[in-house]
Amino acid sequence: MLQGKHITFSYQDPAKGKTDVLADVSFEIREHDFIGLIGASGSGKTTLIKHLNGLLKAESGEIFFKGKNIYSKKYPLSELRKKVGLVFQYPEQQLFGRTILKDVMYGPLNLGMSEEEAGKLAKESLELVGIPEEYYQMSPMELSGGQKRCAAIAGVLAMQPEILVLDEPAAGLDPETKHEIFELLCRIREKRNNAIVLVSHHMEDVAQFANRVWVMYKGKIAMDGTPEEVYSRVEELEEMNIGIPQITHLTYSLIKEGVPLPRPAISVEEAEKMLAEILKEEKPL
Amino acid sequence: MIRDITIGRYYDSESVIHRMDPRTKLMGVLVYIISLFLVKNVCWYIGCLIVMLVLYKAAGVPFGYLLKGLRGILLLLCFTFLFRMLYTPGDPLIQVWIFTITKQGILKAVQMTARIALMISGASLLSYTSTPKELADGLEKAFSGLEKTGIPVHEMAVIVMIAFRFIPIMLEELNVLMDAQAARGAKFEDGNILEKCKGVMTLLLPLFLLTVRRSSDLAMAMEARGYTGSGKTSRMYPLVYKKEDRAGYLAILIYISVFIIARISSLSF
Repeated sequence: MLQGKHITFSYQDPAKGKTDVLADVSFEIREHDFIGLIGASGSGKTTLIKHLNGLLKAESGEIFFKGKNIYSKKYPLSELRKKVGLVFQYPEQQLFGRTILKDVMYGPLNLGMSEEEAGKLAKESLELVGIPEEYYQMSPMELSGGQKRCAAIAGVLAMQPEILVLDEPAAGLDPETKHEIFELLCRIREKRNNAIVLVSHHMEDVAQFANRVWVMYKGKIAMDGTPEEVYSRVEELEEMNIGIPQITHLTYSLIKEGVPLPRPAISVEEAEKMLAEILKEEKPL
Repeated sequence: MIRDITIGRYYDSESVIHRMDPRTKLMGVLVYIISLFLVKNVCWYIGCLIVMLVLYKAAGVPFGYLLKGLRGILLLLCFTFLFRMLYTPGDPLIQVWIFTITKQGILKAVQMTARIALMISGASLLSYTSTPKELADGLEKAFSGLEKTGIPVHEMAVIVMIAFRFIPIMLEELNVLMDAQAARGAKFEDGNILEKCKGVMTLLLPLFLLTVRRSSDLAMAMEARGYTGSGKTSRMYPLVYKKEDRAGYLAILIYISVFIIARISSLSF
């Protein structure tokens, strides 16, 4: 659906000179993908996602959305911003509306919809993120931290994006709320049938929910594959300073010790299954 | 355009001017501004400009920064120029409808505009070459004599420092906010003036909230570290004049003497 080819980008800072942030990045987001984008800080994750909806323009390389080059002169960027919804870090800090409903309606109204249509979309999105109706007329500042974040996500959802990109949506939340946010993402994907790109430090969650993982390292996508593929390359990941799930680390150590597991597990459930399998085989002996 | 305001930003570099004591630099800026007001003849501003360019060069700050600093007050400069030109009585040169442009008007306009522009670039150089902390320390030390008269010099210096420190932070946050609202379809770059104004409204409230929250966090952090506001604390890096500062003061003295001598002998001033 969205395809990037050989994208390079660098920040110009007269004080420090040129810093390359993206170096020849190519990627493809297919329909209904759930992509986990991981990488150490400074590896270019946030810069990359700003390219996805045209907030930043690549120095060289091309991005195609449904086969059309978004850098061609005639391409309407506002159309792209509608199709690729971007939720930034700490989105609750960007709320500004007098009421929650008005805030969520802001996006659709900018796209030129009527009040009525925008209101309908806003209500639907708020319902999807689980904010009850009696809150609609309240000020966003009266909500709790987790609810505020959900409302901010609804603000982007109301634009009905086909690709939803989230930058660390669970940063700074307690484990329970964190889990709720991830479940919310799965629910959104099911209901809206859109693709999701999730930037996260939280390996466990990426492993559990994503169907593909991109690993960024020094401005490049160093790995691209299923969570199982990516997480079995434990040594490389550690070299890139990327934390892996505890269970992956444990099973990896077991393999090193000679336990015949097929590969490092990515979740506790999977590890359980693998170990049970081995124990079953050993019993007859 | 809001994105590249450079006022109050520190430009990190290794130069004589960066190494100087902030008091020397404060004195330098003060003297420079006074000199701008001593001048009557427009031609002398060329000299002032050259001095400014030499100082920027010596500080290793690119000239681009000088222009960038002025871009923020472009409107003010234009208005100053226009109104000075139109409302100064004298010998008329051109007369269009109710407007009269006089010879004195043009001279006065050039003078006022140059004065403001040079003043701002001088002050920007100060902030490019000294960190907010240095500036606050310098101010505090320079006015420490006033502490005895009951003026809370230390507190005022801290307030100034924090205010300076907040400018780049707010700009950074503004950038994030602009990206976020642009992602939701706000139009800052393209779009008509009404749309732009609407876009700006969506920035003001979050920015205000963030700033208030940040200040209260800062206050809390300062208290947690035992800051009481009394000036009795000793310094880790006390301010001491070095040889650059002696050279600096000498340069300042020579500079202002030239202006005073020229003024007294009224050499075509």
